[in-house]
Amino acid sequence: MPEDTDLPQATVVRRSRTRISVVWIIPILAAAVALGIAVQRILSEGPTITIVFKAAEGLEAGKTLVKYKDVSIGQVTAVRLSPDYSKVEVTAKIAKSAEGLMVEDAKFWVVQPRVTLSGVSGLGTLLSGNYVGIEVGKSTKKQRTFIGLEEPLIITVGQPGRSFVLKAANLGPLGVGAPVYYHSLQAGQVVSYSLAGDGKAIELRIFVNAPYDTYVNAGTRFWNASGVDVSVGAGGVEVRTESLVALLAGGVAFDTPAFAAQPEPAAPNTAFTLHGDRATAMKQPESISTRYVLYFDESLRGLSAGAPVTLLGLTAGEVSNVGLDIDRATAIVRGRVEIVTYPDRLLARLSAQQAATRATLARSATERHAFMQRLVEQRGLRAQLRSGNLLTGQLYVAFDHFPDSPKAKIDWSQDVPVLPVTPSTLPDIEAKLTNIVTKLDKLPLEAIGDDVRRALVSVDQVLGNANNKTLPELNATLEETRRALAAADALLKNGLHTTLNEVNTTLEGARRVIATADGVLKNTDATLLGPDAPGQQDLRDALQEVTRAARSLRVLMDYLDRHPESLIRGKAADRP
Amino acid sequence: MTAELTAARAGLVSCETCDLLARPAEAAEPGYCPRCGVELASRRHHSVQYTWALVIAAAICYIPANVLPVLTTTALGSADSDTIMGGVILLYTTGSWPLALIVLVASVMVPLGKLVALAYLLITVQRGSITSNRERTRLYRMVEFIGRWSMLDVFVDAFTVALVQLQPLMWVAPGPGVLFFAAVVVLTMIAAESFDPRLIWDSSHAMKEHHA
Repeated sequence: MPEDTDLPQATVVRRSRTRISVVWIIPILAAAVALGIAVQRILSEGPTITIVFKAAEGLEAGKTLVKYKDVSIGQVTAVRLSPDYSKVEVTAKIAKSAEGLMVEDAKFWVVQPRVTLSGVSGLGTLLSGNYVGIEVGKSTKKQRTFIGLEEPLIITVGQPGRSFVLKAANLGPLGVGAPVYYHSLQAGQVVSYSLAGDGKAIELRIFVNAPYDTYVNAGTRFWNASGVDVSVGAGGVEVRTESLVALLAGGVAFDTPAFAAQPEPAAPNTAFTLHGDRATAMKQPESISTRYVLYFDESLRGLSAGAPVTLLGLTAGEVSNVGLDIDRATAIVRGRVEIVTYPDRLLARLSAQQAATRATLARSATERHAFMQRLVEQRGLRAQLRSGNLLTGQLYVAFDHFPDSPKAKIDWSQDVPVLPVTPSTLPDIEAKLTNIVTKLDKLPLEAIGDDVRRALVSVDQVLGNANNKTLPELNATLEETRRALAAADALLKNGLHTTLNEVNTTLEGARRVIATADGVLKNTDATLLGPDAPGQQDLRDALQEVTRAARSLRVLMDYLDRHPESLIRGKAADRP
Repeated sequence: MTAELTAARAGLVSCETCDLLARPAEAAEPGYCPRCGVELASRRHHSVQYTWALVIAAAICYIPANVLPVLTTTALGSADSDTIMGGVILLYTTGSWPLALIVLVASVMVPLGKLVALAYLLITVQRGSITSNRERTRLYRMVEFIGRWSMLDVFVDAFTVALVQLQPLMWVAPGPGVLFFAAVVVLTMIAAESFDPRLIWDSSHAMKEHHA
């Protein structure tokens, strides 16, 4: 075996142990995770926006959230004053996912608990603190600086319903959030208000929620339902209110009168007129109207524009103007009342059987004029001022038939025809009452009083006489009569049959006398109490007669006493 | 000064687990400990490389651990996320500066210090520094000792999350930062473990040998 000592020694190449170890995966992994998080952070970094508010009420950097539909989409990162210290600049970091909301017409406001007459809102903020609310806009143009709203936006874009514009003369108590009523149900809200371009009216923007918005069509009327609507007219006192909230906070109500209903709901943002009250709003627009003028010589106090004009008590129109008419030549000043009549209203009251008449009259003005002409000329149709309400003194114009009134004609050639009038009955009654009072004034009341007093005095005297004189005499007479009767009685007891007859006869006479006396007494009673007291003389005469009768009776008795035989033989002839 | 006799110089290898001094099977592949069966190595394999990797990983994790919130407190509907430094600042501004100091030292300074210390040790070992071997060894011991206490923050976080759960009113949720913080602590602990302190001395021996 050869020995190859000079052969080079084979080098042992050690397996390199210095190659990159797997342990480096750990830092690479850590770096990857950290980088991943960083990239995710940077990618998810949403826009930073600045909102300018007047005041940062309850806004805190790092705490206050920006919420859309109650979902947090960002956070306020800084709250600082604007360079001129007049405003507050709120910087907020918005989530990447909500970046699309930050467009030109997005609106921001501070949501805080709000207690108003029309409701309590934002109660959640009592616990979580105020937050910034956002309402997404329709624009696609991005924006990063916004002007915050002072009042929260009430209607969100997604809310079903439609908004409309109301034009009003003044705002009244209506404010943002004021309810909108439909048949006393809250159907929407006042969203905003602004002065119209010309500065002469208010434009209210209202939002009517679905499904109420379908009830708004071109014929719908809106009116101010604020507070209590008290109207005093010839029709009496009318009080109307929509709800307690409307009473305090104001409100708008709407309804569609049956005659004006349109099948199609109104398009969004349609402009409507806001009427002052329900009556005005719901008034039917008159298709035909005829204007007349009336000249009155009497007081127009209590007659105002809007007062009703009636025909046989049915409303036929209204007073449009109350003025004056002066004729310089004759120096006559009279009241001029312009009225507008709506023949439609009266024609609508015709029965179905008279549809033909109605159609004819409604169609042709000439027909109406001819008919009116006949009414005035043949039936004596006249206008008259009447008091609608004695308490308030409101007047209205009534047309009625006065067949006795002087002849009159209507001159249709005039622009505004003059209708004949008749004086109102109220002044007539007044004149009559005045006459009566004047006559009463002329009566000689004092003289009459004197006469009456004197008469009473006479009566008094008569009564005094009766007491003092007549009655004692009567007493005496009666006494004598009794005595006479007693004597007669004695005589009768002693007397004979024939004598009895005579005595009877005499007694008869006496009874008559007594009866007469009795009558006299009764008469006396009557005459003495009577107002003219004429019986005093009669009484006295009667009593004298009785006295005389009694006296002759005594003479007879004396004679009989002395000549009892005369009862048998008769009165002896006078002896010589 | 004579060079100290080390196992490596004597051609021997010491078992890291049971400290049995044994003759290696061959210089490149020392084999296994005849007493406890652990693989023997004159020096830990790739100690410097491993330690570097872990230190760098820990350093990377240290950034999100401090930037991301560790706790998210939701009280009465408003959420509040706090980072470690945010908590320190909050404690300081509310007047409890001693607590702020403790948190600052325990949660910010100590992990950072560990990373810096390990990096320093690695650099000096790689550059073959022969100075202040004792100090460096002490530093290493300190790093190793502190390591096991650094999870305090994570514990506090876990306790708070578990305890404060008054659901509708207030609750606490862990933030992503706490995961990274835990990663920093774990990684530095492993890094400290994988560093072979014997390397500190090796360069000075080699230097002396060279001179000799």
